[in-house]
Amino acid sequence: MSTAEQPERHALGFPPRVLVTKIGFDGHDRGSRIVASFLRDAGMEVIYTPPWQEISQVVRLALEEDVDVIGVSSLSTDHLLMPKLMTALAEAGLGHIQVVVGGIIPDEDEAALLEIGVAKVFHPGATREEIVGDTAKFAAEARRHRDQETVS
Amino acid sequence: MTAEREKPSPEASSLVARMRAGELVALARTLTELERLSPSAPKLIADMAPFLGHAQVVGFTGPPGTGKSTLVNAYVRQLRSDGKTVGVIAVDPSSPVSGGALLGDRVRMNEHTGDDGVFIRSLASRGHVGGLTPAAVRMIDVFDAAGKDVVILETVGAGQSEIDVAEVADIRIVLSAPGLGDDIQAMKSGILEIADILVVNKADLPGAEKTCSQLRSALSLSASKSAIGVLTTVATTGEGVSELVDQVGTVASACTDSPRDRRRKRARRLLAWAAADLIERRIRDRADGEIDALCDKILSGSATPDQAAGKLLKGA
Amino acid sequence: MTEQAVQLPLPGFETAHAEWRGNYAAQLGEQANPENRSGIAVKPLYTAQDWDPDNYMDDLGFPGQLPMTRGIYPSMHRGRTWTQRQLIGQGTPEDYNARLKTIIAHGATAGSLIPCNSVYRGYDADEVDPLLLGTCGAVVNTVDDMEACYRDIPIGEFSTALNDPSPFTLLALLLAVAKRRQVPWSRISGTSNQSDYISHFVCNHMFFRLALPGARRVLVDHIVFANKYLPGWNPLSVVGQHMQQGGATPAEAMGLTLSTAIQYANDCVARGLDPDEFLPSFTFFFDISISFFEEIAKFRAGRRIWQRIVRERFGAQNPKAWRFKFHGQTSGVDLTREQPLNNIARVTAQAVAGIFGGLQSLHTDAYDEVLSVPTEAAARIAISTQEILKQEAGLTDVIDPLGGSYYMESLTNEMEDKILDVIARIDDAGGMYQAVEAGLVQKMIGESALAFQNKVDAGEQTIVGVNKHRVSEESELPRVPLRPPPAQAIEAQVERLKRYKADRDQTAAQRANDDLARAADSQDENVFESIVDAACAGVTHGEICTRLRDVYGFGDPLIVP
Repeated sequence: MSTAEQPERHALGFPPRVLVTKIGFDGHDRGSRIVASFLRDAGMEVIYTPPWQEISQVVRLALEEDVDVIGVSSLSTDHLLMPKLMTALAEAGLGHIQVVVGGIIPDEDEAALLEIGVAKVFHPGATREEIVGDTAKFAAEARRHRDQETVS
Repeated sequence: MTAEREKPSPEASSLVARMRAGELVALARTLTELERLSPSAPKLIADMAPFLGHAQVVGFTGPPGTGKSTLVNAYVRQLRSDGKTVGVIAVDPSSPVSGGALLGDRVRMNEHTGDDGVFIRSLASRGHVGGLTPAAVRMIDVFDAAGKDVVILETVGAGQSEIDVAEVADIRIVLSAPGLGDDIQAMKSGILEIADILVVNKADLPGAEKTCSQLRSALSLSASKSAIGVLTTVATTGEGVSELVDQVGTVASACTDSPRDRRRKRARRLLAWAAADLIERRIRDRADGEIDALCDKILSGSATPDQAAGKLLKGA
Repeated sequence: MTEQAVQLPLPGFETAHAEWRGNYAAQLGEQANPENRSGIAVKPLYTAQDWDPDNYMDDLGFPGQLPMTRGIYPSMHRGRTWTQRQLIGQGTPEDYNARLKTIIAHGATAGSLIPCNSVYRGYDADEVDPLLLGTCGAVVNTVDDMEACYRDIPIGEFSTALNDPSPFTLLALLLAVAKRRQVPWSRISGTSNQSDYISHFVCNHMFFRLALPGARRVLVDHIVFANKYLPGWNPLSVVGQHMQQGGATPAEAMGLTLSTAIQYANDCVARGLDPDEFLPSFTFFFDISISFFEEIAKFRAGRRIWQRIVRERFGAQNPKAWRFKFHGQTSGVDLTREQPLNNIARVTAQAVAGIFGGLQSLHTDAYDEVLSVPTEAAARIAISTQEILKQEAGLTDVIDPLGGSYYMESLTNEMEDKILDVIARIDDAGGMYQAVEAGLVQKMIGESALAFQNKVDAGEQTIVGVNKHRVSEESELPRVPLRPPPAQAIEAQVERLKRYKADRDQTAAQRANDDLARAADSQDENVFESIVDAACAGVTHGEICTRLRDVYGFGDPLIVP
């Protein structure tokens, strides 16, 4: 490793890269902004987008920025689009990325999300420690998968 | 804290080929491997070597509030309509406290997210106060090897970095905007020396004329720089952007450096960083009798700091 | 325990005060005073030393008279209790109509239409993924849809707030319905609830559809049109809710909102309008948080400041222009998912604060609003809460009941100072339009949001059931499954839209659509008038938005990460 780089603070060697985004129509982003700040303060590199991203945009961003985790903030019913996002990520060869959803998700829908491969659903009241800790854990997992997977 | 050992990936040799064939995931992966200087990096660098030296590297720098990202966005739009492919490296500062970063520049360039001819990567400065990192320099090469016509480097623009951009970009664009309260910012010593083009963005705001004339009169004081243009743009409407692209072209064709010369300049910068960092850490960290002795010499006046540094370097 | 005999005469103020301070400290030790959300320290006790009752006329005056602190009308809630206006909107227009009739049967005197998120974004139902249609609001794209929303409701007598941002297509559709029913436009009453494009640019981005300069133009045209043809309609509601929900402190929210109103007033003056004529139609819309006293003080200070602004900056002489009219909504941000029935207590506290603050119109949230669109039962409780406060607790019997309280007057003064600080900062930045273009406001709000979150995390701000008094077993209501409208109902809605587009007079619609584009491009034509004409000619909501975006650009709010 180059000696000119500042010693990294994160156990991964390089900080986790997290994409924080919103799909669908809802525009309330106070929660996702705060989460982005938490993650930054915990030493992660956060790519933060405005709301109303198209699925194809999210996939493209995740690809270009080579992120480890995607955090989707969803109030109202935008989480209904998650199956489409998960499929699109897999098709783009980005199946190693861990996806989490945060916001207002009814119980029934949470089970369905976990089934399609969402790593975790965060509800209002999730603490900073929980969010940061889990994200770091998922990032490590994503990196492990990424290095094992052959890029198709 | 141990770094995770990454094994060199078995497809490293095909990664460059796939990247050159237009596979976006391969380009993304190569950028990351080079950014992190992973064990695969030396092989990748070797594979890329034959393909380097074609891309035009344009650097955008300037203080916050000048609308850099918006201007880069408009610049990319113009390049695309001229049929050029583009790679963008957007550098954002890392928090000195946490080491993390909020990479928000590319948010302003969302219009290009669906375009396969544009590839944008955000990069955190990771402790480099100026904002321009060795990782960025390596990533320029990746975009070059991938066949991009233009590589754009957008940096933080706070102090040192204006100088850093100078030595890694082929064409150096320095941005200002009216009413920032400190038009002198852009005229800090050295910045005008390295700029190839000065741009006053947000030219629709009051005070634009004043900013332009201040810059022009500062330029006129330097014989070598009096020929530099001061362009005006309104990035939000695209006004002045095609003129900027033309001007970049003019400056590029007037430059006599070979691709190898330009790449040497970048390597020189990397060497300077590495050396400076090495020395600084030595002085800062080591309880060193030799250094103490040199310090005493400085304090007593029997050696100047320059002389003491020279001695140190000889033995380093 | 024997009591000491009371000494007469009673000791003097200073002595008694010192004695109390000593006893207080003996019981509680030295404690720092907590700060309210706006950063004002709150003492345990207030006396005439904090506010001198001799300042009554300067600080309070009488209701309906300068400085307006006690209320904007002489009789306030005794004369006319606040409008009960509940937000509703779900699924198809028929669903909305049914819900509206239920609410009316339970006492609501006015309606407030929430359109579907797709409508907010400017799309017609046939342009979006059906999964997302009608789940949080009504799908209204055409005159027929609007007609169905108000079937059997006399729109000439029933006041409607339309949660419809620029370019106000829903109002245009409503006016088209009025035309069809031959109800004169002068009888249509209500408010363009989401007309404040600046607040959308800053905080509630969902509502932001046209680029800033276009939004600016359309708003003033809208105000001009309303002032001319719609005497019962408030074309402008300046919104403080979004910013407060986005994290601004109460003082910041009030300061920023007043600055926005100043900006709009300036824009109207620049168009040549007379402040005495347009200012009376300015109304405001605020969040009511659970910081009880702070909210009351915020509103009282707001009233006082506004009358000064309109008289000093705009020379308004019409007393109607001096009135700070506002609608309040209890803040959903304070509600929790844990132990949701607790939210009823929260909403009640917030509602009381709004009433004591002298609002003109109130929406109380349902306790399950945090989980999803409220259930009917919960919505009924929200309305009943208002009835109980009025009829049983008698909260409307006295105007400004906290007026004269040492704490309330001292706090109102302190809030006024904080609010004026914010206004001064925005003034320095060249006014609200420039300040939001530059991202200054967004930054201010983001910082406050983070500061509040940090306080909650550190336990300095208690939220019962969340960071204190947590209950380990699941005493929470299950997160209710979404009840989106049945797929067939949505399909039918989309079909209806397609048929509408096929059956209308295409030439007339196309011509009106082109006229709209031409007006938008022009310097002098009234764009909103063209929108109304287009609606009457059968152009749909999505088509209007698309055409205006072509001319003005799609609004991308500036995100300050």
